[in-house]
Order: sequence, then C-alpha cells, then structure tokens
Amino acid sequence: MNGDPQRDPVPDQAVAADERLLEAHERALRGRGDRGDRHRPLAIGASLIALALFSGVYLERYTGHFSPLIFDENAKPLKGELVFKIDPVVLGQRYYGAECVACHRSQGEGSPGIYPPLAGSEWVNGPPGRVIRIVVYGLRGKVRVEGNDFSASTMPVYGRILNSGHNWSDRKIAAVLTYIRQEWGNKADPISEDDVAAVRKAVGNRDAMSEDELELVK
Amino acid sequence: MNGEWTPNDSASRGPLLLLLAFGILWLVVSAGLGIIASFQLHEPEFLSEYAILTYGRVSALCETAFVYGWLANAGLALALWVLGRLSGEPLRAQNWAVAGTLLWNASVAAALVGVASGDATGFEFLGLPSYVQLVMFFSYGAIAVAGLLAWSGRIRRVSFASHWYAVAALFVFPWILSVVHVMLFAAPARGVLQAIVAGWFARSAWALWLAPLSLCAAYYVVPKATGRVLPAYGYAAPGFWCLILVGGLAGGRHLVGGPVPAWIPSVAAVSCVLLLFNAFVVALNLRCAFSSKAVELRFISVGIGAYVLSAVADSLTTFRAVAERTQFTHADEAQGQVALYGAASMILFGGIYHALPLITGKAWYSARLVVAHLVLAVSGIILLVGSLCLSAFVQSRGLLDPHVQFSEIFQHARPWLLMATLARAVLLLGSTVFLANFVLTACGISEAYRPASLGPPSTLEAPGP
Repeated sequence: MNGDPQRDPVPDQAVAADERLLEAHERALRGRGDRGDRHRPLAIGASLIALALFSGVYLERYTGHFSPLIFDENAKPLKGELVFKIDPVVLGQRYYGAECVACHRSQGEGSPGIYPPLAGSEWVNGPPGRVIRIVVYGLRGKVRVEGNDFSASTMPVYGRILNSGHNWSDRKIAAVLTYIRQEWGNKADPISEDDVAAVRKAVGNRDAMSEDELELVK
Repeated sequence: MNGEWTPNDSASRGPLLLLLAFGILWLVVSAGLGIIASFQLHEPEFLSEYAILTYGRVSALCETAFVYGWLANAGLALALWVLGRLSGEPLRAQNWAVAGTLLWNASVAAALVGVASGDATGFEFLGLPSYVQLVMFFSYGAIAVAGLLAWSGRIRRVSFASHWYAVAALFVFPWILSVVHVMLFAAPARGVLQAIVAGWFARSAWALWLAPLSLCAAYYVVPKATGRVLPAYGYAAPGFWCLILVGGLAGGRHLVGGPVPAWIPSVAAVSCVLLLFNAFVVALNLRCAFSSKAVELRFISVGIGAYVLSAVADSLTTFRAVAERTQFTHADEAQGQVALYGAASMILFGGIYHALPLITGKAWYSARLVVAHLVLAVSGIILLVGSLCLSAFVQSRGLLDPHVQFSEIFQHARPWLLMATLARAVLLLGSTVFLANFVLTACGISEAYRPASLGPPSTLEAPGP
C-alpha cells in the first residue's frame, strides 16, 4: 500500500524519537513536511459531505421527525387533533358478546318462553325510542314478540341512571343497539349516541318500563 | 529504529508490568471460559448440573474477564506508556496507578465471583454486579490520574493523535459507568428506557472507550515502528471527533423492531454510517503498517483491517432490512468478536510486542513464540468469525421460515458451532503462548538478553526509511 516513496510522505528525520514524532506530525498538521503527499483533500472532504448528506436525508425520512409517539420508521407525525373513527357495529358486537349474548343467544334467537328473540323482532326493528328505553331503563312484566308471550324474566337496567346495575355509557348503548338492528337480517336504521342521550334526558330517572308504556312511544 | 529505549521506560516499569500481567492473565482465563460457553452451545448438557457453570453464567464470566480484565488492563497499560513517553518524563503518580490496578483487578475478581454466584445483571457488556461498579469507578479514576498527569505535564505542548484517543478513553469510562450505574441500578429507569440505556452503554464502551484505547496504541506504534510520518495526518483530528461525537449514538442499533420510538434505531443507523469516516481515516493514516515486516505491525495491520471490517459490518447490519435477518443470530456474536478480538485485542497484542522490550529493557524471551501467537491468533479469529457467520446464515434462513422447527435450526447450525469451539481452542492456545512468553520475558529468564538500546531484536526488524 505504501512502499512507493513517491506517494507517501517521508519525514526529513526519522520519527524514532518521541520529540521527532511530535514535531513531524505537528508540521504535517500545519501543512508542511508532508512532502510528496498526493492525497486529494477534496476526495476525503467529499466523502465526509456525502456521508453527512446521506445522514440528513435518512434522518428526515425515517425518524418520524423525532416524535416519541412514532414507532414505525415510515410514519410521519400527524398534524392537528387525532380523530379515531370507530365502527359502531364492531364495537356493539363486542359488547353484545360480553353481556347480551347470555340470554338473547349468539344468533339473537333468545330462548322460547323465557328470553325474547332479537332477530326479526318488531321491537328491535321498530321505533328507536322503544329499544333505547328497553335497554336504558329495563323492561318488567309481559311482552309480546313475534306472536309469542314472554313474562318469565326481566330485562335489566343498563343505562347511566340512578340505581342502574350496569351504568353503560350512551355510546356503548348506541353501539349495541346499532349492532342488533343491523345483524341477523335486521335492517333498521343505526342509533346514535345523541339519540340515547336525548331519551335519557327527556325521561330522567325512573324504574323499569312496561310493555304498555313502551307502546305509547312512537 | 523502533528500539529506542529511554530511562523513563524503566522508571515507569512497575505499574505497566502490573497492568500487563493482570491483563494477560485475564485473557487466558477468559479464553478458557470461552471454550466452555462455546461447547455448551452444541452440547447443552455439558456441565449443566453445576449452576456456576451453566451457559448464562459462563458466557457472562467470559465477557467480563475479557472486557474488564484483558482489554481494560492492557489498554490502560499501553495508554499510560504512550502518554508517559510522549510527556518526555517518567510516569508520575505511580502509586495511584498501582493502587488503582490492584483495586481494579480485585473488583474484576469480585465481579467474576458475583457473576458465578448468580448476581450478573443480564445487560450486554455489563455483567458486573452493581456492588463492584463503584469500586471500579474509583479504581479506574486512580489509574487514570497517572495518565492525565502525564498528559497535562508534558514537556512539549503539542498534542498527537495518541494523546486525544488516550485522554478521551480515560475520561469516558468513568462517565458512562456512572451514568449507567445511576440509571440502571441506583435509581433504575423504568421499562423500555432500561434497554435504551443499556444499549447506549454497550455501544459507548466499545466506540468511546475500548476503540480509543486501542487506537491510541496503534497511532503511536505505527509511526514509531515504520519510522514514517502518518500519511494524511491532517484528517486524523476530524476522524477522532467523528468517533467521539457520533460513536455513542448507535446504542439503539439492536432495538430494531423493538418497542422504542422509530428515531432511536434510525439515529443508530446514521451514527454507524458516519463512523465509516473514522474507520476510513484510521485505515488511511495507519496503512504503512500493512507493508511492514515488523511482527508487531503484523498484529496491528490485522487489527486495523478488523476495525474497518467491524465498522462496515456495523453499518450494514444496523439497517432494518438487514437487521431483520441478522438479529437474534450468531451474526451479532461474530461482529462482537471482530471488534473486540479482531480489532482491539490484535492492536493491543501488537502494542505489547512493541512496548514490552522497551519497558523491560529486554528482548522477548522467544521470537518463535511471538510468531506462533500471531499465527494462532489470526487463524483462531478468522475461524471463529467465519464459523459464527455461517451459523448465523443457517439460523437466519431457518428463523424466518415458519415451517422450520427450532430444533432443526439447531441441528443445521451445529457443525458450525463445533467449528467455533475449535476456534476458541486455537485462541486459548495462542493466549497461553502469549502468557508464557510474557512471563518468561518479564521474569528475566531470557537467554537472548540484550539491551534494547543496542537495536531491535531479530523479531522486531523495522524497515529502513
């Protein structure tokens, strides 16, 4: 690699002694004494600039602008407020599976004579005010669904009202209702969080509904 | 040419020989432990009934003895020697250095006992139990006092590349050890931050401490042994600052795909790439070593080659596309060996072969043993890194294929792991030869006694200018 005296600097004096070593290199630093040095400073400087350029581009591209919340190197931080869009059917399915499925069964078929069905039920597909009231306040007494009478059990109170057993938020109730109104062949309109809130505000705290009271709701 | 002996050398003989003796002793201990650990990779039942000798502890023992025993002692010995010689005066504060050395090695021994009894911390490069860390902090400081006094009290006010690297290494280790002690043990950071701090420590220990210690020796020995001014020396300072400023930023390179913000591995990648400049400058400055026939420069040229190779391998494997394949395979171990054995240790070997005749005033006991060590060390490290790379290749292919059973990967990697054990045995043999030659030289049993001031012994032939 060296060997060629034309290419590599040879000091005037040997660098064997330590003072000579220090002297010779100090001279080399000041640009003297490096006789025959053919290294192209431009080439070395250019390599450093190239590395620096690469670094800048890489950092701009793959660091998520140094955001502590970005874990994917290809992502960029979001501008403005982060808005999550949640599908109420998916959310409702999760709550249905955790709670309602125990009585109304996985296909919304209920249990004959005990728990009314939801699939094809005129209550579920009927006016939103009725189903909202059933879930928020519960239902006590006899109810007639798809031509069959059910009176053996009670629908519990789910709404966020006084003495509620479950205290579900309006959003949770809206999601479950939207889910049961669009699943198993049901084709009713979705119910929004505001619909539930409006009913809760209008009715206030009260005990469980009965079939007769519900039928007054249009 | 290279054998110019000064009275200052013999005046500072005591602490330097003590550091070197401990260093080489730990090297042999670590090589022995390395064989056990490597053997357990292909024979998992080997010694598994003794808790002390299970794989986790033996590999931590091997690493601790190597880094804190061998590399630290030998690197400090050469740094003190170089700083002392460049200062033009006998080493000052020698009693500090001796006390520090004794305390440091006592704490290395305590750390090994601690690791063996199950107190290892589980962090890479930092198997040291937390209770020895403070002692190591202060004993390192005591040794560093001698080096810093030699630097600040130098007769000629100019500074040389070896100065920069040595002084950086003297300051950096207490800094990184104290930071990591507070953040991982005294007041532990929580969760992911621990992995980030541990990664930063492991990287800094190499890039800011061990690499500068060995480069200090290389920058001194190469011009001394060749008698030439370093070519392109003007770039040595930018190369040095490149290492110091960006070297520690690559701590996150093993956290690719981990639960850390994306910028941490990305900054690590950029840091590794920028360090190519440092490796490039080092190779450019020290390339006279490659054409020299002096045996110490043979060691050092292998070391410089490995240093460049390690920088290239680091910057390749830090990118996500490559890291996905090399992570969790033996590629990591291979890279560690290239850096710690191929680069740092080979340069330190060369430095010791150059320095010891001057420190003791005697030629090496046996020139043949020096050549034997060169052959064994070079073939051992090539065999070790080669077999680990092949094992990594097999593992990487298998681990990415969901249809391949884990035990199958092991079966396929097994032949290469056997080869790695063979390589470890070669390295142990080389280290033992080195220890024997050192002991025989230092004890003065040398028959080929001649004052080094009369000229170099035959093995240390330097080319004329």
